[in-house]
Amino acid sequence: MPADPRIAPDIVCKGLAKRFGDVVAVDPLDVTFRGGQTTALVGPSGCGKSTLLRLVAGLERPDAGSIRIGDDTPDAVRAQAGLAIAFQDPSLLPWRTARGNVALAQRLAGQRVDAAAIDAMLDLVGLDGFFDARPGALSGGMRQRAAIARCLITQPRLLLLDEPFGAVDELTRRKLSEDLPPIWQARGTTTLLVTHSVTEAVLLSQRVLVFSPRPARIVADIAIDLPDPRPGQETTPAFIDLAEQVSAALIGGEGPSPRRLAAQ
Amino acid sequence: MTQFGLTRRHVLGAGIATVGAFAALPRARAQAQTPLRMQLSWLHSVQFGGSYIAQDQGLWEAEGLSVMLDPGGPNAPVEPPVVSGQALVGISAADYTAAAVAQGAPFKILGVAMQKNPFVITSLPANPVNEPADLVGKRIGMALANTPVLQALCTLNGVDIDGIEIVPTQYSAEPLIAGEVDCLLNWETDLPVAMAVQGVDSVTMLMADHGYALHSQTYIATEDSIANRRAELVGLMRGETRGWDIYRQDTDAAADMTVARFPDLGLDPEVQRLQAARQVPLMFSDLTDEHGFGWFTEDTVAANIETLALLGQTVTADLWDRSILEEVHAS
Amino acid sequence: MTPTAAAGAMRMRVPRLALGPIMVLVAWQGLAVAVPGDFLVAGPWEVAGHLWQNAGLYFRALQTTLAAAATGFLIGNLLAVALAALALLLPRAEALIAGLALLVFCLPLVATGPILRVLYGPGTGPQVTLAALAVYYTTFVPVLVGLRATPAAWLDLVRSYGRGRFAMLWHIRARAALPYLVAGLQIAAPAAFLGAMVGEFTGAERGMGILTLQAMRGLDTEATWTLATVAAAVSIAAHGGIGWLARHALSEPPPVLLAPPQTGSGPGLWSGLRGILVVGVVAIALWWALLQIAGLNPFFAKGPGDVWAFLVSGPGADENRATLLAALAETTGALGPGYFAGMAMGAALAVVVTLAPALSAVVMPVAIALRAVPIVTTVPLLVLVVGRGPVGSAALVAVMVFFPTLVACLYGLQRAPGQVLDVMASYGAGRGKALLYARLPAMLPAFFAAARMAVPAAVLAVTVVEWLATGRGLGALMAVSASLSDYGTLWSATVLTAVLAALVYGIVARIERRVLAVFASEQAQ
Repeated sequence: MPADPRIAPDIVCKGLAKRFGDVVAVDPLDVTFRGGQTTALVGPSGCGKSTLLRLVAGLERPDAGSIRIGDDTPDAVRAQAGLAIAFQDPSLLPWRTARGNVALAQRLAGQRVDAAAIDAMLDLVGLDGFFDARPGALSGGMRQRAAIARCLITQPRLLLLDEPFGAVDELTRRKLSEDLPPIWQARGTTTLLVTHSVTEAVLLSQRVLVFSPRPARIVADIAIDLPDPRPGQETTPAFIDLAEQVSAALIGGEGPSPRRLAAQ
Repeated sequence: MTQFGLTRRHVLGAGIATVGAFAALPRARAQAQTPLRMQLSWLHSVQFGGSYIAQDQGLWEAEGLSVMLDPGGPNAPVEPPVVSGQALVGISAADYTAAAVAQGAPFKILGVAMQKNPFVITSLPANPVNEPADLVGKRIGMALANTPVLQALCTLNGVDIDGIEIVPTQYSAEPLIAGEVDCLLNWETDLPVAMAVQGVDSVTMLMADHGYALHSQTYIATEDSIANRRAELVGLMRGETRGWDIYRQDTDAAADMTVARFPDLGLDPEVQRLQAARQVPLMFSDLTDEHGFGWFTEDTVAANIETLALLGQTVTADLWDRSILEEVHAS
Repeated sequence: MTPTAAAGAMRMRVPRLALGPIMVLVAWQGLAVAVPGDFLVAGPWEVAGHLWQNAGLYFRALQTTLAAAATGFLIGNLLAVALAALALLLPRAEALIAGLALLVFCLPLVATGPILRVLYGPGTGPQVTLAALAVYYTTFVPVLVGLRATPAAWLDLVRSYGRGRFAMLWHIRARAALPYLVAGLQIAAPAAFLGAMVGEFTGAERGMGILTLQAMRGLDTEATWTLATVAAAVSIAAHGGIGWLARHALSEPPPVLLAPPQTGSGPGLWSGLRGILVVGVVAIALWWALLQIAGLNPFFAKGPGDVWAFLVSGPGADENRATLLAALAETTGALGPGYFAGMAMGAALAVVVTLAPALSAVVMPVAIALRAVPIVTTVPLLVLVVGRGPVGSAALVAVMVFFPTLVACLYGLQRAPGQVLDVMASYGAGRGKALLYARLPAMLPAFFAAARMAVPAAVLAVTVVEWLATGRGLGALMAVSASLSDYGTLWSATVLTAVLAALVYGIVARIERRVLAVFASEQAQ
């Protein structure tokens, strides 16, 4: 998918390093995320991929190295409300309605609160009829839909998703990953997706980066060249092959496994 | 932080504003009045009945003064507002004034409302204390802070204070009635009155009748005021003098007026009437009949200096200044 | 019908909420009948009659005092919220702000009253100020905790749009702190009423405090009990009203405060001492500066230098110190036992109520009433009952400490994780074992939070009761020294009281932090 570098710039990380006390979260790392693409980051728990996401968002300061989003620093992009982030926990404010939570993003982004756009967005993510419900009255999946609506309402250039479907049950998860990604993919928003699920990574991205255990190193860089739409392809040989590659890299990254030794 | 910037002008301004509220009263006249304040030593009650008469009957107004009476209370010392000039005159007592002067306050006693100190020993008729010697072997309820007072009484009458058991009590007649103590150190004009109204008979021994000479309900002002605000002081004291003379003629009327004037204080008319009558013998004597209300002499001052010495306070006759009263009573 | 069935049927007929107050009234009337003499106890019947006859008087007094209390309540709580916001926005100054706030809160009413009266002159200035001073700290502490108790993800959300601390405060923290504010406001309501009443002691023409003084002097038992009843009713109504408003306005119940403020004492002893030093230096500087600005007469306004001379360098300093230390010893003698007894009773009753939940309908209204009666009306009652020795002072301190401890401990006991209790049950452990191994450890953080907040309350109680009733200790010393113009003693005793209260508070907070680290590690930081 060709992307306009002005709306969907590349993200270039050079010599990026971050440690928390004695724990090295990110070793010097060089990586470029291509504009307009969805890049999935997979790796074992605690490998530093979430830290990488937070570094790109400017929520953490790198100890060394640099991040450029197009010509801008993460801080500059944040200041222009050019990015949006979603967490495993939907992090909705319990005292605001679904509408109110989405409106808050526009307010924080310094944009005019556009009631019509908010309703349209909530409708788009499938929350029709729950506009004025508070988070306490919503199911886990519905809360995540509201969180995605909140991310998208500000029209970000960069979308950072940290296991957004990680806290819901399997059935809901499948439903969400069918419904929601097309919304942002249609806009060509540059997206980084941290996930534990190999299937989800292959299903939702154009490229999968597999990370080693801490400190994060990239052990595989796999292009996903499946045609869209993806849902329904999970059982095709091409999909299964890509998923196998990702899994193998993931297991390989853990250290020598019996299977890998046997393959040698 | 405006409250810390409170200046005399603010205070006077507030005084004028309050006077303005009183302007609705029919007696108020348009003539210029000098506003000033007098700090009372306790909550409003008939204890200050003469002052209310002076205010009500326009006695101060006739002197060109608009006097505000500031109530005291258990947490309202009289001396600070007088020192700081908020109040021109305060109602104190010789011992408190002496203590303040020892701490550097430039006070003089201008007049003495209570010629006889109101401290009494109150007991029940079944087990009475009629004279100081009766105290021996008794339990007396009082504030520990008043121990010097009891000590002075004992010294004056050759009684051994160690023979008396001091029980610290709050200022209430209840311990006496409940039998926790045999007697109380208190004022002639409050607890015995409360007991009488509740139907409890009591015996009181006035300490002033046994050598305890200490001017009470004294008018104090600073040396600076005496030098520079003489006319106001004379006017204030003249109003007081006349008010108290009227008071004396009908204490019941004074009590009823006090109750009507302060409907929110929960004053008991009966208590006020009794108190009003009981304070007359303390305030008026042959001396005041001869020279006028508030008077004191070298002799009474000397007796006070003696008692104060027993209380551990060294003062000279300079503490008293009769010049204002002399002007008042000369006219 | 079996006894339990009968009890159940009775519960059906009498709503549980009404059961407690009814039993309180019955017990009270019984006490009034049983206690000999006319001057000790007035029963609810007499109180009602007295109130009926003097309705206008009490209404006007209540109006006056409520107006001052409400104004002070508003100002004090606004100040508390502003201070908490300031502490949040200036994290480096937080220890200083919290330390100064605590120190000012610990200034005894006995001493601040006269000074305020001189500052304001006539009017309700002291009443309003004392009410505000009585409430601001107990709101400041929970609001600051509430402002901090926000999930990190909410704050990341704000940051991800390039917004800073002010946006976090405005959009997230302010609203998230509301339940904590409510918890503070509930404590503040009776405190404001007390402050306004004590303010009237500095000279006023009407009000509940004035009527209390008249009743004490006039041996008016009915009036004394009526005042206590009215004051308690107002406080309970305010406590309940704020709770009711909160339940309707908030989706979440008011929390019981557990997390300690990170005041002064960081992890190391040295940084703790340094914090105390900074607070001390700034407090002394402010004290000096305020005296200069206010231009108060040095006769009664003593500065840091005067107090130093009085206690250390001046003539008679040894004697002065001896006087103060003797008074301090007396005060501590009542304060310590009362404090520990109140804590122990509160915790014990919480355990009892947890083991026998049916009791709470009886226990809680009594506890709330005890706590809600302003201390100046309790003093004469308690002295009537317990006497005026150190026991009376200690008993009053215990009452002041008891209720917050009970509430906090109940909350803590119920906080034992359900799964842990299930594990216990699966081993067939009874209530006792579950209490010992699961509930009591879960209670400890709440217990220590209550212990910390109870320190200033206990100091307030002991100085007031010494002043008004027993005539011993620091409270009496301060009152007497004010009447004798001995302002050196007054200011020194004031400083001593405030510093000691703040230090004890700090020590309890330190113990609390240790305990939290073990028993509630998620709250320790």
